[in-house]
Amino acid sequence: MTDFKKTAAALDPPIPEPDVEKLLPVMDALEAAFRPLQATLTPEDDVWTGVE
Amino acid sequence: MTILEMAAALRAKRISSLELTNETLAAIARENPRLNAFITVTADLARARASAMDAELSHGIDRGPLHGIPFAHKDLVYTKGIRTTGGSKIYENFVPDHDADIAINLEKAGGVLVGKTGLHEFAYGITSNNPHFGAVRNPWDIDRIPGGSSGGSGAAVAAGILPFATGTDTGGSIRIPASFCGVTGLKPTFGLISKRGVMPLGWTMDHMGPITKTVRDAAVSFHAMSGITGGYVPPKNVDIHGLRIGLPVNYYFDKLDLEVAESVRTAVQTAAALGARIVDIKVPDIDALNVVGRVLLLAEATSVHRDNLLNRRADIGADVVTLLDQGRLIRGSDYVDAQRLRRIYIREFSKLWASVDCIFTPTTPTPAPKIGQMTMKVGGVDEDVRLATTRLMRAINVLGIPALSIPSGFTKSGLPIGLQILGAPRAEDMILRIGAAIEDATGAISRKP
Repeated sequence: MTDFKKTAAALDPPIPEPDVEKLLPVMDALEAAFRPLQATLTPEDDVWTGVE
Repeated sequence: MTILEMAAALRAKRISSLELTNETLAAIARENPRLNAFITVTADLARARASAMDAELSHGIDRGPLHGIPFAHKDLVYTKGIRTTGGSKIYENFVPDHDADIAINLEKAGGVLVGKTGLHEFAYGITSNNPHFGAVRNPWDIDRIPGGSSGGSGAAVAAGILPFATGTDTGGSIRIPASFCGVTGLKPTFGLISKRGVMPLGWTMDHMGPITKTVRDAAVSFHAMSGITGGYVPPKNVDIHGLRIGLPVNYYFDKLDLEVAESVRTAVQTAAALGARIVDIKVPDIDALNVVGRVLLLAEATSVHRDNLLNRRADIGADVVTLLDQGRLIRGSDYVDAQRLRRIYIREFSKLWASVDCIFTPTTPTPAPKIGQMTMKVGGVDEDVRLATTRLMRAINVLGIPALSIPSGFTKSGLPIGLQILGAPRAEDMILRIGAAIEDATGAISRKP
């Protein structure tokens, strides 16, 4: 899983430290939900390009 | 009065556009100190425009049902020569040098712009509790939010100030105010109404649409915003006999306020009594669609407002800064993968349209929360107000399908409850037809704050 604290500090400019803590639970939860979905993708899965 | 009632009165010469406009301006003066629904009022321009529309009608020039009708734009819509704040301190004095396409279309349709309505900052939130322009208040209970981000439009229409205001919907921002304020909100198919000249939030999730008192008014406003002439308006005694209404057996009724669930199920029974066929359906994974939608919007909104975030951080409200910071943490490859997942889920969801003509769900899981409330109990569980309120909405923006929210009834304490009607891509006529039938049968719109 991503270390969002480290990522936030590495951005240019970094996200101000006092603001980072409140982002972490949300980002961790979002990533935990997203990674399993992402894992289902195959190379044949193209991007969405508009309403079909 | 509704748009269609005003239109009839204008043509019968029972009232003029100038008189309607003066009444609207008086209503704004009376109600806005209480509701804070407007950021800017364009009284002089509106009177001049109304007089011009009256002159045209008297010379036999008739631009259609919106001719001479007072309306307002959400203050995210570029209006040439009229400031457009986006609900932001950064743009508090921004005056566009051109009109948005929807402003052009509504001018062509003869609308009389009376002002710009309040919203959540950058349209990035669901409360319309704006740190720079103040909280917009719900006419049904001024201690409650009107919803957002198009909160001023919802509040103004609900209060009877005007019959129509524009809205934008990136994760429910038309439908949430419609639900919380007891009015009608239409989020059309993605791309059907031009977004050009509307301050973006999420390029692949933004939808333009009307907020009105009635479904038929939503139909005529939608046509005018789209530049369509002669579009479908549901007739009196609209027939929905034999139409197939999908009722989800999963997700949409799982975590709800009990009064909301009861009201929506009553609307389903009403549809059945009108001859519609109720079909139980299992919807694909809506939680997954919501996750995809959040990844997309976080990345897109930060792309839109990156310079504002980096250069004017102190001038942005704390809740919006938090979301924009989150967007900086989304990887490019994750954004692309979210767009790939989107395509898969859209194809999966579209299979439902083989068995149903529309789908009924609640619009929001609860009635309007209090201003400043951060969490609320839904089905006995504490939830973040923003995440709970968008739970039944966000996936629909990912899908890009049309959605209509109409009032289905009221709680015992008198707060409106919204019914969401979903349709296949470009099936606006279908959901307007069914919405009008339910509206006629329930009479929920006759109740006033």
